[in-house]
Amino acid sequence: MSPDLENEDLERRLHGALEAVDPGERFVPGVLARIAAEPAHAQRPPRAAAVVSWLAFGLAASVVVAVLLAHEWQLRRIEEGREARRQLVEALRVTDEKLNLAYRAVNTQQQAAPAEHSGA
Amino acid sequence: MWRWLLGPVAALGASVALAAPPARLVLPDFEDLAAKATESVNISLDTALLGLAAGFLDSSDPEDAATKELIGGLKGIYVRSYTFGADFAYPSAQVDLVRKQLAAPAWQRLLEVNSSREHTHVDIYVSVDRGVANGLAIIASEPREFTIVNIVGSIDLAKLHRLEGKFGVPKLALPQGNDGGKDDRQPDK
Repeated sequence: MSPDLENEDLERRLHGALEAVDPGERFVPGVLARIAAEPAHAQRPPRAAAVVSWLAFGLAASVVVAVLLAHEWQLRRIEEGREARRQLVEALRVTDEKLNLAYRAVNTQQQAAPAEHSGA
Repeated sequence: MWRWLLGPVAALGASVALAAPPARLVLPDFEDLAAKATESVNISLDTALLGLAAGFLDSSDPEDAATKELIGGLKGIYVRSYTFGADFAYPSAQVDLVRKQLAAPAWQRLLEVNSSREHTHVDIYVSVDRGVANGLAIIASEPREFTIVNIVGSIDLAKLHRLEGKFGVPKLALPQGNDGGKDDRQPDK
């Protein structure tokens, strides 16, 4: 085949390949449908990120609340302990006071008894 | 000072062997007394609260250490004390409810003293289980004060005495020896 014939053949094949072809009536709706569908796929990563963010926030908030509750519990425990200590000291004071009262009464009776005997 | 009580306690402990008695008394509300009192003391310390209080006693402090040692064997301290502005005749019904619980053989009356001069009446009872005193009850009536103390557990009266003059526990300079009443008072400092 001569070079001229080769060029003509190539040109004819290119022309045939580049010839406009009607894609059909369903092409445009299909493309539009895919375009419409793509943004939905594109939104997934931001939603997942938001969920992760909320989870992190929730976890951090839980830790803060737990720390605050523990602190509150500790303060209350200290207050209860101090109050228990105060009541213990008061209870021992009252007990000793009444034992002393009994002792005084016994002592008074014992002192009075010899006096009565000596007076008799 | 309280050695004069230790002898009778030991004697009772040695002679009485009983099943575990309920050393904890059921104390009435005493609402009538509380309503008429100018000052009320209502203390209920069970084992848990005693343990909590012990945790707030500083072992390096001698007074706190003595208190910690004293309450080591205790299971509860219950105090009801009412002070009145004028001489007051206590309704005996509620007091009788307490006295009924202090019956033999679980409880033994250790001491009953009546002072006509001071118009005071003090009863001291001890609860003994298998030779060991495991409870103490004091009922003290004075013209303007009525007090019930119930201590559950083994209490060392000598250790209690060591606290005298501390924590507001009155220091009365009473005899220290076991002389059965010999008056060897020391002047209060």
